Amino acid sequence: MTKTALITIIFLAAVVIGILVGPTPLDAQIMQLRVWRVILGIFAGGVLAFCGCLLQGLFGNPLVEPYTLGSASGAALGASVGILVFGAISPVLAFLGSLGVGFFVYTIARIEGGLLRDRLILAGVVMSFLCSSLVMIIMVMGGRELYEILYLLMGYLGIIINDSNRLMIIALIIIALGLVAFLYRFHRELDIISQGTETAAGLGINIQFFSLIVFFSTTLLIGLVVSLVGAIGFVGLIIPHVSKLLFGPKHRFNLGASFILGATFLLLADTLSRIITVYELPVGVVTSLVGVPFFIYLYKR
Amino acid sequence: MIAFRAKSISFSYDVNRVVEDVTLSLTESEFVGIIGPNGAGKSTMLRLMCGILKPAAGEIELFGAELSGQPQRKVAQRVAFVPQETHFALNFAVEEVVMTGRYPYQRPFAREKKEDFEAVNNAINVAAVDDLRKRPVNSLSSGERQRVVIARALAQSPQMLLLDEPTSHLDLHHQCAIMELLKKLNTRGLTVVVVHHDLNLASLYCQRLVLMHRGRVKATGTPHELIKQKILKEVYETEVLVMEHPDKGVPQVFLRSG
Repeated sequence: MTKTALITIIFLAAVVIGILVGPTPLDAQIMQLRVWRVILGIFAGGVLAFCGCLLQGLFGNPLVEPYTLGSASGAALGASVGILVFGAISPVLAFLGSLGVGFFVYTIARIEGGLLRDRLILAGVVMSFLCSSLVMIIMVMGGRELYEILYLLMGYLGIIINDSNRLMIIALIIIALGLVAFLYRFHRELDIISQGTETAAGLGINIQFFSLIVFFSTTLLIGLVVSLVGAIGFVGLIIPHVSKLLFGPKHRFNLGASFILGATFLLLADTLSRIITVYELPVGVVTSLVGVPFFIYLYKR
Repeated sequence: MIAFRAKSISFSYDVNRVVEDVTLSLTESEFVGIIGPNGAGKSTMLRLMCGILKPAAGEIELFGAELSGQPQRKVAQRVAFVPQETHFALNFAVEEVVMTGRYPYQRPFAREKKEDFEAVNNAINVAAVDDLRKRPVNSLSSGERQRVVIARALAQSPQMLLLDEPTSHLDLHHQCAIMELLKKLNTRGLTVVVVHHDLNLASLYCQRLVLMHRGRVKATGTPHELIKQKILKEVYETEVLVMEHPDKGVPQVFLRSG
């Protein structure tokens, strides 16, 4: 289990770097901002990669990621509406957008006695396109607010934490982590589903019901993440693959490792986004820019 | 003792009746082959027998207990199902695949117990896949992979084993090896039910055959009673010749055309 020790050490290093490294000298106030950023980074990166691992396992499809099922686009749409109407990012609207689109995807995919699992992907992809178009319309209408929506679409960990939202954010993070712990119990089911739905059914797994639980839980989790820090891409798609390359296919290890690796990766990407240029880049830009070469290196090795 | 009993069960996909009014009972330690033309309802019947599909009408009893009232986990502790072909989306090691057969006995969050490892070792042993236990499952040949899937089914510690055309993609050597393995398991008391396309293999190995045609059980009986020119011609609509196996004396089927 030296690999476990290694990724834990790298994770802790990423936390320390995330707090210490930045363009401005460290004082008490900056320190507090950075600690919050690190907490949000662990939460968002961990949850995104965890959901990616869960969904890739459920659908037996390595290209599925949290955003495939439409909830992230829903959140982006909700938040964009919030920016247009109230002039500020509204986590509540984002969250409602995510849940609303989730329910809509489910309604499209639902069929009497049919294979819900396969229909969810197509319904999710279709709804994502619709939401993206609507966001574009809002961006064209918005004009001035374009910049804010762009950050939302690419993801940004530097949200302002103050007395009015601190408690809510802590509560949301605790709820999300509780849900993650609950979903971890399904590692065996995921291992079995990868061997075919009939095998799974024969062993006593109710696939319809299981798919529903996983779909709505991940919709909820992604809604929470996107409504707080925006639609950070790439983490949920690639980190589960990195985890599999390191730890093999068993979900008992993969789900946990994906969380830690996702958190580490997002923290490092966020640190880079602060120091790479004079302006702070949206972290989603950095995750792809840095992540793709790293992944190609790992994959080709 | 009765292992399985179906009382006038029916099942349909959409509007097509696939299994219609089937009544059938199997005694413990029987080696039964289900035969019949494509679309006769053989595979559906097998899935009804292990609870993967629920009958639209009729009743099924497994080892004296009503099937419909039982959670599938409980059923899986008695009946194991081997699908025709297993595609492994993730490249698990052989022993990890076999361990998934213990799922019906495991609780969420709990670690594997001693019984689990014992059952896995035993299954690996019986299915003779010891040499492969650390190998990634996708590096195996189809014959080896089929043995691994049977080992996974055995890890369920079942009393009845259901297999859907277990030899259909295999060469002669592996066909024979799989059937010999099933025979060995059967002599140890396991009830074995095999859906077969290969009438000759079915005749060689099964004690009793169930002939299905258009969703119904057309006839049941020993290979001698069922593998007959007249019956086969009627069901398969093909000219065949039936002769005795030179060593075993069981009927074997030859095609007339060509």
